[in-house]
Amino acid sequence: MSKLNETDIQGFVLRGYNLPYGRYILLRFENPDRARALVSKLLPIITTGQRWDNGKPQSTVNIGFTHRGLAALALPDATLLSFPVEFQQGMKKRADILGDTGLNAPARWDDVWHGNDVHAWLGINGLTATALDDCCSQLRSLFAETRGAVELAAQDAVSNMVDGQQTGKEHFGYTDGFGNPDYLGIERNSQPGHGKQLPDGSWAPLATGELLLGYADEAGELPAAPIPHILASNGTFMVYRKLHQNLATFRSFLDEQSAVYGGGREKLAAKLIGRWRDGTPLELAPDAPDPSIVKDPQRSTNFTYGADGAGTRCPIGAHMRRAHPRDAFGFNGKLIDRRRITRRGQTYGRFVPEGELASDAEERGVVFMVLNANISRQFEFVQQQWIEYGNDAKQGNDKDPLMGNHGGHGKFVVQGDRSATNPPLVCAHLPSFVELRGGDYFFIPSMTALGMIAMKLVDPR
Amino acid sequence: MPNNSGKVYGLTILSPILNDDEASPSHDLQIRSYLAGLSTGRESPFAQAPGTHLARLVVMDDVIFVGAPAVEEHLNSKYLIFESNCDPGPDGTIDSYLQGLAEYAGAHLDAIWSHCVGYPGASDRAAFVRYMKACQLETTFFFAAVNDKSVPETLRALQTQKAVADFVETHQGMQPGQLRAEFLQLVATLDAAPMPAVASATVSREMKIGGRNE
Repeated sequence: MSKLNETDIQGFVLRGYNLPYGRYILLRFENPDRARALVSKLLPIITTGQRWDNGKPQSTVNIGFTHRGLAALALPDATLLSFPVEFQQGMKKRADILGDTGLNAPARWDDVWHGNDVHAWLGINGLTATALDDCCSQLRSLFAETRGAVELAAQDAVSNMVDGQQTGKEHFGYTDGFGNPDYLGIERNSQPGHGKQLPDGSWAPLATGELLLGYADEAGELPAAPIPHILASNGTFMVYRKLHQNLATFRSFLDEQSAVYGGGREKLAAKLIGRWRDGTPLELAPDAPDPSIVKDPQRSTNFTYGADGAGTRCPIGAHMRRAHPRDAFGFNGKLIDRRRITRRGQTYGRFVPEGELASDAEERGVVFMVLNANISRQFEFVQQQWIEYGNDAKQGNDKDPLMGNHGGHGKFVVQGDRSATNPPLVCAHLPSFVELRGGDYFFIPSMTALGMIAMKLVDPR
Repeated sequence: MPNNSGKVYGLTILSPILNDDEASPSHDLQIRSYLAGLSTGRESPFAQAPGTHLARLVVMDDVIFVGAPAVEEHLNSKYLIFESNCDPGPDGTIDSYLQGLAEYAGAHLDAIWSHCVGYPGASDRAAFVRYMKACQLETTFFFAAVNDKSVPETLRALQTQKAVADFVETHQGMQPGQLRAEFLQLVATLDAAPMPAVASATVSREMKIGGRNE
């Protein structure tokens, strides 16, 4: 296929900016004309996928709409009704399908999600806190000037700092952000393990249509998309989930379980996710972290599970092995090529280093954002079948040990061998380490589509 | 034989539904109505009869015309489709399974199949088995997610799995002597345990499944 038009695709879709400061502003539109006027004013400041030849900008802005937001912008009914059902319903209505029940139920979400008011999401990232604030001030003056939107809430996020340095660590101490997929036509620093595995063991990019609307997907089909085609093309869908992390619970769990686990505390932490906390994959280094692997793009994501069928290196139920099973289900990994998601995430709340007192109640977690062409087939499948259920991984009803909605009833099996430092362990009565605090499904249009929305030119005929 | 996949038998039965203009409601609607009230859980008559892994009943009205360039065609009759993944008898045939169905679920079978052409009733076992086999189609290809185990073997395995998992969870770190004694006790308990009830190993999940997601 030919090279994608990066100037037409929102930059957030094509790359993780890796800027340390983030703010996610949730908007409500009150009047279609004024809302369109606001979108017009925003158009020139939206960050596209154009490459940054002169280094990173001070700040970035991206935008997405819920289905209610598109209705509030008065898109034609024939267009609104052509969106996939799950997007029309929104994430709250999908709670039963996603397992967002109990501790994760919508009734327990942040106030902003309780109504049906969230129409748009603005994602702002900044190189510095000042740059972020400056950009947000500019946006807020546009809200006021056009009276196009009411700001409902703003979620701040900031990369965790260790010794004053920005890190890729989330609050539990794991280095995050290794395994986003490659897609055909998207220029990126590619590395083995990022795409799909071919029968000869090499790695190739996934079909563009797994990420972007308007292109063939892994089945050679166009993903389900709204009409007209030009509204959908170069756009995608985003899943936004605010994930609260129970840091005190997590640390006391590690303390209690490692007291009876011969592998020790750090290895147990690694077994939960599949990587040592510095990011070393257990498959490549089961006994101790190896920073040289983490630093080497030829190795850090270049592994499979085929030779570890018993899970004695990386447990079969570990988070990473569930969410991206690679070849674990056989058939050269073909069963998972249509279940891949691109993740953007940023931590929020105060980082508490190991050894300092932490509480569950403090606001702390990850703003987790998923980009995919088909929410139902990709994100919802992974969430339902691989995170909140274990059958595909032959782990019965066991959920993802770290992400699962356990509520005190979870179980996690650490497969082991006869050595004293890698024994098996069964962790029972798992608490919920992560709780959902809200979110929704957003359409992330192309620049062309944003212009059409702003100019009232969306015509489904 | 294409009806067999390892230990599991894939039974496919197509019975023509009575076409009677005088019947009101029509016989196919009467079957639909009866099936709609049938339990799909452990009270299902097909669960009560021995040897059923999974059973499904479908009323097929006609082939659906999907528009040109397809040719419009119609069936000569409406059909009741019965599909079952089940345990065949020791001889590999389906006779004993059908006899078990007649014995444990005869009244339900009669209520359903009495709307089908030529159904002799379940009380005459030999005639019933002959009828069902006359309506049988070769399954040719099927997948049964039962690990090539019979229904009793599966029920026992699930019982053992749960007991052992619970045992492991509560006995980690125990001294070897005591662990051995308690494990032998577990084995004895399991050996003496009665066969678990059909569908008793089912764990209810809070999640809404089905549709396009599964």
